[in-house]
Amino acid sequence: MATVKDNPYLYTLVTSLATVIFIAASCAALGWLAKTIVRRAGGSQRRQEEAQAGYFFAAPWIVGFLIFVVAPMLASLYWSLTNYRLGDPPQWVGLQNYARLLFEDREFRGSLVNTLFLTLVGLPLQIGVALLLAVLLNQKLRGERSFRATFYLPVLLGFNAAVLLCWRLMLNASNGIIDQVIRSLSRAFPAFSYLNRGLIYVVEVVNGFFLGLTNGNYTLLEKVLATGFPPENRVPMWIQNPLWSKMAVILLMVWICGSMMLIFLAGLQAVPKELIEAAEVDGASGWKRFWRITFPLLTPYVFYNLVIGMIAALQIFEPVYVLYRDNQPLAPSAYSMVYYLYQATFRFNTIGYGSAISWLVLVIIAVASFFQFRLQSRWVEYEIH
Amino acid sequence: MSKTLLRLLSRGAVYILLTAASILMAFPLFWMISTSFKTLREANAPRIIWIPSAVVIDAYRSVMADPDFLRAYVNSAFYAALALAGTLLSIAAVAYAFGRLRWPGRDLVFALMLSTLMIPAQALIVPQYVFFNAIGWIGSFNPLIIPGFFAGGAAMIFLLRQAMAQIPRELEESALIDGASHLRIWWDVILPLVKAPLATVATFLFVAYWNNLLGPLLYAQSTRLHTLPVYVAQLYNINNTTQPWPSIMAAAVLTTVPLFVVFFLAQRFILDSVVLSGLKG
Repeated sequence: MATVKDNPYLYTLVTSLATVIFIAASCAALGWLAKTIVRRAGGSQRRQEEAQAGYFFAAPWIVGFLIFVVAPMLASLYWSLTNYRLGDPPQWVGLQNYARLLFEDREFRGSLVNTLFLTLVGLPLQIGVALLLAVLLNQKLRGERSFRATFYLPVLLGFNAAVLLCWRLMLNASNGIIDQVIRSLSRAFPAFSYLNRGLIYVVEVVNGFFLGLTNGNYTLLEKVLATGFPPENRVPMWIQNPLWSKMAVILLMVWICGSMMLIFLAGLQAVPKELIEAAEVDGASGWKRFWRITFPLLTPYVFYNLVIGMIAALQIFEPVYVLYRDNQPLAPSAYSMVYYLYQATFRFNTIGYGSAISWLVLVIIAVASFFQFRLQSRWVEYEIH
Repeated sequence: MSKTLLRLLSRGAVYILLTAASILMAFPLFWMISTSFKTLREANAPRIIWIPSAVVIDAYRSVMADPDFLRAYVNSAFYAALALAGTLLSIAAVAYAFGRLRWPGRDLVFALMLSTLMIPAQALIVPQYVFFNAIGWIGSFNPLIIPGFFAGGAAMIFLLRQAMAQIPRELEESALIDGASHLRIWWDVILPLVKAPLATVATFLFVAYWNNLLGPLLYAQSTRLHTLPVYVAQLYNINNTTQPWPSIMAAAVLTTVPLFVVFFLAQRFILDSVVLSGLKG
């Protein structure tokens, strides 16, 4: 028998219509409820109408919050204390999932260290480039708008799987364009070759150290140190080597720094002109003016970008999927926490374990944000003294 | 050195830096387009071929002839359009409640909504998956589209609320005295005044839906439900000795065309950093 379900478009259209009716009914019901409560409490006619209208319009979010946020969070809190797998009934195991995650699961610890690496190494680079571009744009040169558009475009395109495949093509070590350019520049300029190899050395030592942190196995680091300064024909091994996988992700992070750049531009435009002019009259150089006046006024924006950037770093999913998913021995070296959540939960539908990961992610965000807010009073200036 | 000469020099330096940065930022897109017009041999050549010697459209032909690609395109368009319509409408309603109306509990609910900004959507996918599984929605577009109808996206609500809160009160006071309902005021008075922020929100939502990979991977696994990101990601097969790069990049170009179009239509709204109104609070 043919049913609506056989046509996926029709099925979803019908469900959408039913959803709209359900939401409209919730709006009316919540509005009526609010009005009744205010009337019982002895509110005036005007008060009653305001309450009704307010809850009527806010109802879609309130109902959605209950269905798609509160209920899932409570359910997953319970499931995180069980060994629930789809198909089997959940059995209480207490804190076992959490204990396994924190003390035994190497891949989870790996994803934590990867996030830490992206936050400590990638985020400063991303914020630095965004700030530099914003300062350059703020010189108000002709053509500023088209530059701005060019810098922002990667934000919209960046994490589309199609564009990421293009990066996979470019990052290839043997005939990818990036390494080909590095090779020909190294051949043409000895100075560039030394710079390139120096950077390779630093990157591999730092990454070797971080990889060692994840599994307590420092053989890769020892190998890098034993080889010493890289030979002349070395190029970065972006998608072939676990020492480089996170660097490719950082490259992508820097590429999509456009939204941070817009935030800095807004901050730069809010700097009072009189302050800059006064400093100019006093004879302060451009460099000094920037660090003494402009930058302190930008610190709230730096702070905002740090918080947003950290939460974004632990959610990186598409780049890992497109660049590394089919390279299993290497993929864990690039797992973000959300990627690990996906990987660990849906391989065998281990809902209990996945719920525990979700809750740990939430706790980590809460703790990290708390510390960032605590620390901000040390360096973020909301007013110039 | 005179002061004007110095200024001229520094301007030149800024231009050079900006141009260099633009070239680097736009390069992947140039490379994507360039590769899509190459022959297979040119695309896998061991030397650099910046621009193909002749424009070859075989790659586009082969991609367009693939029924799976066309279906993925239709699926993506259907998903993005329907999800966008529902999300935009519900967000506009909720933003009106937060930005224009005074009701008991508003500030508390608003604070609650802002606090969800700290919850990454992916942290909720596990229990949501169980829920959608229980009601039989896995293997359909529903889990991708329906949640948006409930004003999904706190940042977007916030953006629109800020824009609505800046409209002077007198406008709707007079309409209220004339006996207009709130539904009327919302639709006829307020929404036309926030067209630019609405366009910004619509752009961000469309891009998010068009690029979404995790959702379709979880909920729409069967081939006939594949959206573009899922389809394109599997074009690269690690087991191939040579990758069909020209056709992969042709599919990539066709996938990103709507994003380019949307960006060029909406850039004047986005780039003016409306996004940030009220960031500093």
